[in-house]
Amino acid sequence: MKTTTKTRLLGLAASAILATGSLAHAESKMAGKSVIFVPITMGISLTEAWAKRMKEHAEIGGYTVEIKDAALNTGVMSELLAAAIAQRPDVLVVHNPTVQLLARQIKQAEAAGIKVLQLKLQSNQQSSAFTGANWTRIGTEVAQDIVKECGAGSGKSGKVAIIPGQLTAADSVLMNEASFKVFAEHPEIEVVSNQASDWEPEKARQITATVLQQNPDLCAIFGHWDVHTMGAGAAVKDAGKQDSVLVYATGGGDADACKAIEDGILDREWSYDADGQGRDAATMIDLLLQGVTSADGSMISVESPLKVIKAGEGYRPDLCFKL
Amino acid sequence: MLFFSLFVDGFANLGNFKVIASNSAALLMLSCGMGVVIISRGLDLSIVAAMVAGAATFGILTVAGWSVFPAFVVTVLAVLAIGVFNGWLIAYVEIPGMLTTLASAMVITGFFRYEVLNGEYLLMLPSDSRAVQLLSGDAPAILAVLVFIASWLILRYTTMGRVTYALGDNAAAARLSGLPVRLTTLGIYAFAALTALFAGLVVAAASSTVDFRIVTNGSLLFEAILVVVLGGIPLRGGRGGMRNILVGLALIAVLRNGMTLLNLTTQTQDMFKGVVLLIAIVIDNYINPRDTENDTVGDL
Repeated sequence: MKTTTKTRLLGLAASAILATGSLAHAESKMAGKSVIFVPITMGISLTEAWAKRMKEHAEIGGYTVEIKDAALNTGVMSELLAAAIAQRPDVLVVHNPTVQLLARQIKQAEAAGIKVLQLKLQSNQQSSAFTGANWTRIGTEVAQDIVKECGAGSGKSGKVAIIPGQLTAADSVLMNEASFKVFAEHPEIEVVSNQASDWEPEKARQITATVLQQNPDLCAIFGHWDVHTMGAGAAVKDAGKQDSVLVYATGGGDADACKAIEDGILDREWSYDADGQGRDAATMIDLLLQGVTSADGSMISVESPLKVIKAGEGYRPDLCFKL
Repeated sequence: MLFFSLFVDGFANLGNFKVIASNSAALLMLSCGMGVVIISRGLDLSIVAAMVAGAATFGILTVAGWSVFPAFVVTVLAVLAIGVFNGWLIAYVEIPGMLTTLASAMVITGFFRYEVLNGEYLLMLPSDSRAVQLLSGDAPAILAVLVFIASWLILRYTTMGRVTYALGDNAAAARLSGLPVRLTTLGIYAFAALTALFAGLVVAAASSTVDFRIVTNGSLLFEAILVVVLGGIPLRGGRGGMRNILVGLALIAVLRNGMTLLNLTTQTQDMFKGVVLLIAIVIDNYINPRDTENDTVGDL
């Protein structure tokens, strides 16, 4: 995959607008076009924030955004995507639950001339564009921070528990690969547990309670999504180990995440800022509707900037967004 | 247990048994409700949906500023309504229990997600809320023991309990004998819904969330049935009791804890639990073979 920077994308945007002569002309190129967004589910701050930004841009550009909610059902998601392809929108926005599930349909859509924007979670299949966090970067940075806090010279056990969402989800796959690569260089770090929670807080809580019992000197927990990691944080709090176990998470950085940090349920969150990510996605949709492609036909990619939200000095509630 | 004690570091100690008990409180309560239903030769597939719906109702009311007692009363009434409606469809409209509760689980989940939670599937409860604080510490274990004792008393000493066994043994004969089978069916499903509510409150307080994915994605319903069958209560009903629930719970809770300590993935754990359920059903079929006396139309 060829990854371009955000600056380069803005350059492309500027070029597209200049090439057509005026902003009004760009709007007219988008007017009347259609976009279909197929999320894993609506009703969570992540997808609601994206949808809000997409609709704002659609109103300005004069195009339509239709949302087909799969409501966490992957079977339904495939059917909705098939229906969306049959509708022949100009741009299709896909939120992949796994790296493989929708790959064939993404290929089919691109072959039918529909530009596919993959949002947050990438499939094995390349498409016109991708907007999302760099999971490898997050996995590496969190692992490096864990090494700093729990590794040689820290006086801690070096024991780490990882709680992925699902072992086959793109973010969990990439974050696990990246963090294990870092840990491999630090033999003092021992991963004592790596069990998926199926994204459920209660399952994460039960896993953590059991692991803490077996490893009372656990140093850190790395949860791959803040929502389920809050269950793990609750188990740490119940065990009275808030001062000795660091709870790391990643997430969209909504107000609930900041509340969890204030309550001591989470210690550190690598936030990809879902609100900002929604704006990036909406900008990408505008560009795709105006016919922007990369020079060599490869996938245009925008990496979401990260915010590290930590308890203690430097913490500000406005680091999180509210819908 | 011997295997885990010998080969899994950290299994055989008091602290770990406390974790097993704490992680199993909700499952014990659900299994009590499911056990009573199965003894009557029924099956309640809506028990986890009722559990989450009850917790969501209580959570919404307390977050909205209601005090704990009125919120609890309203929640109990709402959950009882679910159970009574299930029982009415089964006893009076005569729809098979499995189909009734499968449909009602979908209705409850859909209604709560789209009408009550406005499309959300997750309700976050403030960790400083009164409801969460009330159910912290030893409260879940105490509540689980109370539900267990109540289930035992109902089955052992009440008319409803005796009719429950009669229903499971031979529903037609019980009805012809003039026993109040329809009213008892209402009571059985209402009781199951009530146990589900208590389980839901414990889960919600422990993780500070009410999560509807437990209904659609989770394995809790499977585990509740597993506890009942593994404990030795036959799926065709009429036999067994709370002692069987304890045996089943001990087996599944120890298995789950041991597999977590062994760092097995959740998918591998589900696979092992499925294998254990299959073995239990085969053994049940061998010990309690079907015959002309108990093999009736509408059997599971």
